Amino acid sequence: MMNTNDTSRREFLAAGLLAGVALAGCSSRSNPFQTGDTDLVKPSGKMVKLLSVDGEVIEVDEAFLKPVPDLPPVSNEAARAGIKGKKFVMVIDLSRCKSLKKCQTACNHMHQVHPGQNWIKVYPMQDADHTAPYWQPTTCMHCDEPPCVKVCPVDATFKRQDGIVLIDSDRCIGCRFCMAACPYSTRVFNWGDPGLSPEVAAQPYSCETSIPQKVGTVGKCDFCPDMVREGKLPHCVSACPNGVFMFGDILEDTVTNGDETFRFSDLIRDKAGYRLMEDLGTKPSVYYLPPVNRNFPFKNEEGAEQTKKS
Amino acid sequence: MESSVQQKIIQDLLPQKFGRKGKLWVAGLLFFCALGLAAYIHQLSKGLVVTAMRDYASWGIYISNFVFFVAISLVGSLISAVLKLSNVQWSTPLTRIAEIIAIAAITFAALIIIVDMGRPERFYNLFLHGRLQSPIIWDVIVITTYFIISILFLYFPLLPDFNLMLHTEKKQQLPFYKFYRFFGGFWKNTAKQIKVNKRAINLMAITIIPVAFSIHTVTSWLFATTYRPGWDSTNFGAYFISGAFLVGAGGVVIAMYVLRRAYSLDKYITFYHFDRIGKILVMLALIYLYFNVNEFLVPAFKMKKAEEEHLMGLFNGEYAGIFWFAITSSMLLPILILVFRKGRRPLPAFIAGSLVVVGSWFKRYLIVTPTLLHPFLPMHDVPSDYLRYFPSWEEWAIAIGSLAGMLLIVTLFARIIPIIPIQETITEIEKHEKV
Amino acid sequence: MRKYNYILLITILVGLAGHVSYSQTPKNDLNLSLGYYNDNNHFQYLKANAKTKIDRKFQMVPGISLTFYLGSESPENLLGRAISDDKGDAVVFIPASIKAAWDKSAKHSFTVVSANTPLYDQTKATADVTRAKIKIDTGEDRKITATFLEWKDSAWVPVKGVDMKIAVRRLDADLNVNETATYTTDSLGNVSADFKRDSLPGDEKGNLILVAKTEDNETYGSVSSQKAVPWGTAFKYVSHFDKRTLFARRGRSPIWLELMAYGIIVAVWGVLFYLVMQIRKLKELGVSGA
Repeated sequence: MMNTNDTSRREFLAAGLLAGVALAGCSSRSNPFQTGDTDLVKPSGKMVKLLSVDGEVIEVDEAFLKPVPDLPPVSNEAARAGIKGKKFVMVIDLSRCKSLKKCQTACNHMHQVHPGQNWIKVYPMQDADHTAPYWQPTTCMHCDEPPCVKVCPVDATFKRQDGIVLIDSDRCIGCRFCMAACPYSTRVFNWGDPGLSPEVAAQPYSCETSIPQKVGTVGKCDFCPDMVREGKLPHCVSACPNGVFMFGDILEDTVTNGDETFRFSDLIRDKAGYRLMEDLGTKPSVYYLPPVNRNFPFKNEEGAEQTKKS
Repeated sequence: MESSVQQKIIQDLLPQKFGRKGKLWVAGLLFFCALGLAAYIHQLSKGLVVTAMRDYASWGIYISNFVFFVAISLVGSLISAVLKLSNVQWSTPLTRIAEIIAIAAITFAALIIIVDMGRPERFYNLFLHGRLQSPIIWDVIVITTYFIISILFLYFPLLPDFNLMLHTEKKQQLPFYKFYRFFGGFWKNTAKQIKVNKRAINLMAITIIPVAFSIHTVTSWLFATTYRPGWDSTNFGAYFISGAFLVGAGGVVIAMYVLRRAYSLDKYITFYHFDRIGKILVMLALIYLYFNVNEFLVPAFKMKKAEEEHLMGLFNGEYAGIFWFAITSSMLLPILILVFRKGRRPLPAFIAGSLVVVGSWFKRYLIVTPTLLHPFLPMHDVPSDYLRYFPSWEEWAIAIGSLAGMLLIVTLFARIIPIIPIQETITEIEKHEKV
Repeated sequence: MRKYNYILLITILVGLAGHVSYSQTPKNDLNLSLGYYNDNNHFQYLKANAKTKIDRKFQMVPGISLTFYLGSESPENLLGRAISDDKGDAVVFIPASIKAAWDKSAKHSFTVVSANTPLYDQTKATADVTRAKIKIDTGEDRKITATFLEWKDSAWVPVKGVDMKIAVRRLDADLNVNETATYTTDSLGNVSADFKRDSLPGDEKGNLILVAKTEDNETYGSVSSQKAVPWGTAFKYVSHFDKRTLFARRGRSPIWLELMAYGIIVAVWGVLFYLVMQIRKLKELGVSGA
């Protein structure tokens, strides 16, 4: 495989921090009509002089520009509290999933997940003998009543006000009770050394990026809150070529996969969206759209060993 | 005459130096402990990757061993408190053995939990950041409490014995003379002291029962508070407690037999004692069997989808061998042996006790692992070695090392303090002679 | 057998390719594209994207240094430099320093040049842009009118036949105001759309932000404009964060649990403390008894 990367990893990471973040939407956060009461972006106080289309010189606070030139690192307290006025939600459209696993690859790469382990799993599902098989990608469900958080003895995994369930790998004692408590089998454990490059391992840890992974602690899908703070979509959402994943703020009633944007309540109503294992009362933040009207065949080419168990 | 009988009892029951067999026994235990320690040091340097545990089987024999230790530690409260409060006289010689087993087991229960932690050096987080909502915190609290109360429950009845030992003829030759004097030198056998002591022991006997029930109920809740098939059961607390009493009583029978042989205590631990504890074992085995029937038959009747795989795995699947062995060995065979008078003689009772303990160890394994390997969503997108669990040599070494460590603690206690309460035995005999 | 031969051939080819890439590292083709953005007639920026074709698939090129110019590549025309991110994107805002050149003309040509690196040759891309902006007006019955204007002969004049989207601004995306995806301007440069998103949550006062925009228009680039309208439902944020629940953080456990737990702890440890005090009492009795 040839390398597309032109510079060393270190340069890239620095560049990622400086220039990392651009979105065509380019919403201006200086806007006084910002929805809700959020602490998504705080002014930095550093002004830059820009030119408007009319030829006027305007001064803009750097923090309101995208990409943010210097995103200040989020403190542990802020990472534990979450983004105020937001409630994140994901919709997974099963009728579009062909198990390309681009979501998984992107997620594993961006979070430096240990080889072999996956935060996103794409299950071949068949509920009964005569029902249709389909692919079911699972992320962390970010339950509103998370059983994993209930049992954590040290507040290492916690529920934020924006609905995201995160793990603080600097706090985790590695008792794995949360793994036993999670009915969705979404949590993975760093059994041995996570095998990170020295550059990644040297990064300051943040529970919002989940990087660097730490030996003897639990990891899982984090809904990419670092991306959300930058106004970008989670990696799985933007990596999927079929638009299976849609992400948004339920309080804004909107989800998007980058290409298409839907009103969340309309989408769930029109396509009869549902959540996994509703009977357990975990109240997940991930909704599924049923695998109807698929215009592609279900082809399971994976090893028989893995799929034999139903 | 009385003093000569007394002197004889004291002579018989004083702690004795290890003989050749004793030294060999201690050396063997030390060897296994060292092996376990070496395996643990290896695990500390490499992480839990040295175990066979993986994302699905995220708990293994460390946790089942923990449950086993907590279970066996319950015997302290059964023999010393439950029987004492129901005015059972014959259990007097067994109280100290039971209490020592309880302390040794609870110590290693706490240690094995630390062994299971991915980041043992962060143990202090439990105190710094403890969340009251977590059953693990309840377990930490309740195990600490039980440990303290068990030590007190061992200590108070020891006070008169310290005094007796300090006043024997050869007292200056006693190797632990200073130890006895420090802990028991103030005991003067005054009526007032006896009264205070008796009151304290009664209070403890009452307190230790709910605490003992708590430790094992909370331990069962570590499983029962999750959704998983095989654990999601309202029966779990009672199921665990009944199993714990059974394995604890089995442990006491083994200890009785071994100590009786090792220290020639035939006159103090008699056929009568074996007969009695044998009957209790039958009762406990029947109770445990009853809870097992509830635990397996009711879900099997419904065969909910998630439970089905788990149950069929136990009944005639990959775990069927261990499952039926555990049921037979820990309940059916002991009942069959002990239900007959001849079966309650020391040797057959010892065999039955051993069957109970071995079967119960495997039973704990079956409680922990098969459930984890039957999650709600199929096991998927993991390396193939994540799909099964068989303990690695490090896990075996640590598990065996911890069992050896527990036996070592029991052995050392037997070396230092009288394994049968001397003063109480004298009092009992005096009472009988007066009658 | 044929299948195996085929595999063998591929293996050899791949092996050779790997060998060649080690020995002399041929340079790949870099595909650069450049887009112009005018955000709410406010600030303007350029976004370049760098990608390459490997195994007949496009891959983004991160970490490449890009330099942006207004007009030709000379230092006095420099707009800025940026390094592409993991998606191959790099952004530069139009600085106030080029005001004189900007005011001179209605049409401008932007250039982006990539650095010459061991993997890629220096590559160039340009974007020709006519200065344009969008005006939004709203009327009765939640009707939205957007007008597209370009700068011509020192005046803003309407343009016919431009495709526009009319949407509501959301966190990561824009939600169309109704089922129609795009509108085309008439001879007055106008499009009109009906707002059909009833009771969509807005801010605390029920304000929504309307957006009218072109996306990658060949002549004008991506031009957008915003307007706040009070057409949403007032957003009331109710936080459950501080509620006492079993899944809340440390110190926020339910009252019943705290009462039960602390009650039991106090009672049992009270007894334990009492027992320890009894040891002291026994000691004192021992001293006084002797």
